[in-house]
Amino acid sequence: MNNLYRLFTQQKAIVAIAVILLVMVAAGGDVSRIFFSSYNLLDMLNSSTILVILGLGVTLTVIAGGCDLSIGGILVVSGILSIQLQNFMPMPLALVLAVLFGTLVGFFNGFLVVQQKTEPFIITLGVGLLLTGVAQQLSDAHPVPANNPDFMNISNGYQFGDGQFTEGHFPGIPNLVIIMLICFVFFAWLIRYTSFGRNLYAIGGDYDVARYSGINVVANKWMTLVISGTMAALGGVLLSSKLNTGSAIYGDFTALVVNCGVVVGGTSFAGGVGGIWQSVLGLLLFGLLDNAMNVLNIPSWYQMMLKGTVIVAILWMDSYTQKRKRELV
Amino acid sequence: MNKVGFILKDYLVLLMILGLALVTAIIQPKFISPANLNNIMRQFGPLILVALGMTFVIVGGFIDLSVAGTINLVAVVTITLIDPLGQVGALIAGLVIGSICGAINAGLILTSGATTQAEALFITFGMSTVYSSLALIYSGGSTFHFWDLKEMPNMFEAIGAGSVGPLSVSFVIFLGALALLWIFHTKMAAGRAISLTGGNKTAARLSGVPIERSIVLIYTIAGFMAALGAIVLFSRVTTASPVIGAGFETNAILAVVVGGTTLKGGKGSVLRTVMGVLLVILLNNCLNLLGVSSYMQWAARGAILVFAIWLDNRKEVQGNQL
Repeated sequence: MNNLYRLFTQQKAIVAIAVILLVMVAAGGDVSRIFFSSYNLLDMLNSSTILVILGLGVTLTVIAGGCDLSIGGILVVSGILSIQLQNFMPMPLALVLAVLFGTLVGFFNGFLVVQQKTEPFIITLGVGLLLTGVAQQLSDAHPVPANNPDFMNISNGYQFGDGQFTEGHFPGIPNLVIIMLICFVFFAWLIRYTSFGRNLYAIGGDYDVARYSGINVVANKWMTLVISGTMAALGGVLLSSKLNTGSAIYGDFTALVVNCGVVVGGTSFAGGVGGIWQSVLGLLLFGLLDNAMNVLNIPSWYQMMLKGTVIVAILWMDSYTQKRKRELV
Repeated sequence: MNKVGFILKDYLVLLMILGLALVTAIIQPKFISPANLNNIMRQFGPLILVALGMTFVIVGGFIDLSVAGTINLVAVVTITLIDPLGQVGALIAGLVIGSICGAINAGLILTSGATTQAEALFITFGMSTVYSSLALIYSGGSTFHFWDLKEMPNMFEAIGAGSVGPLSVSFVIFLGALALLWIFHTKMAAGRAISLTGGNKTAARLSGVPIERSIVLIYTIAGFMAALGAIVLFSRVTTASPVIGAGFETNAILAVVVGGTTLKGGKGSVLRTVMGVLLVILLNNCLNLLGVSSYMQWAARGAILVFAIWLDNRKEVQGNQL
């Protein structure tokens, strides 16, 4: 009984993924065949990559006891910038500037949250709102098309293959998956083997104790928001390249879904626990859920309701586990 | 000097936006025309009602992002119930649904033992999605109009467009709600308990303040006021769509914080919120008259929200140093 409770509370993502897979097996027939086809699985992985890239940065802020809800705004603004700047300068420079924009916003967030000690949840929500307005102004609330095949190829190309799905033929690995893997390895290293990464756990666990132990808490926590802003901008550039358009509408839901995905994996808003692996699983869960609902042909409003319910259920469990822990002590 | 500084900080946002109003009145004399002032009074309706409810949530140390979903749901359900239940029945049903939505939020927060604003923020966001999707599923995504009903709903028309003497009906509803909530907050034990809960939950519990009751009360009030806001809103535009409430949660939080209620909980009042809403409406009106695009207005609201929270926090930091 106790073991079962631990399994459900600590490995929420794995349990939920297992449930979805079981449902898809049980559905049988064409649904199972389509869902488990290599094309669909690769497509699912591919469409979750951007969420994962955003989640990697957010994980650092959550471990350090913060949160970043401005990533939705950063995502859309940098996505639009990456396309519009190409009119004035060569593509690589435009992309670098678009990503640097995210770094800048992250720096500003860090100033507000860490240096000025404001509540991260509400202030980053405000910054996200501000940036969404800026994105709508930049794009005049219309999708901004890109017309550079090289730009489109960044996210849509394949390595080690031609991207053709035919019988008995290796289609290759999508670029996005490779980029995600590189980021993943980098972050896993950062958090496990550098003093910066280890410090974040100390800061999230107890801010004051970390400060008295001689950790430069302000600089370290500030850095997490800078990194998270940068990763959000990178995600925005990749998303624009993938869709070949920049638009102000993608950010609405993304910020909260990514933050929830991170928590689902086991990184708690209480700070000090969690890891990169867990976040990736949590975010893949949302990709899996989206894909499964599409294959099952669930109407979009019901999808919205189901997703909302899943988010509430998981956050409820996160808080409940915290409460149990408090009561045990 | 210090005292002057405090008062200045407390009302800096107020002074800023009053300055903005003055500049607008000079550049664009239409601003002080009777038609525009009447327009401002009518805009007071929905947002102030939602913000009054939000005040209690924030004073209690929590936050509620689900009001947008509640407004969507209440608007479409109420308008479709006018034919089968009659107008009074539909009105009551709408208010009950809003209160139930709030009570569900409170139940989730209570059972999970969430004590921080962050946990409440995410749970209520999830519930907002659920309520909004229920509104979409219930309405099939379509918009309902008064002229599609069997007969014109006179009572709702009066709520939306009627007048009592020089005041609009929605303004009278607002005054009534304000008086009731103000008395509840300042004179009644349950209302005082909300402030104590927000100030310090542990201290409140140890001194015997029932914080569970406070949590249920603040969210139920927020849900009820959101429902009232939804009814005034769709009565004014004579149309209810399942996305009618979008943006209300951030505007309401903005109004509460700009008014000077602190996000840390424990301090604040409904009267401050009235000031905050007046400022938000004036800002929208000024920006409209100055011809600022609606997208930049969105950005401006975000900027002011960030600024107001920052300022609120500065006050806190300085207060601790004294």
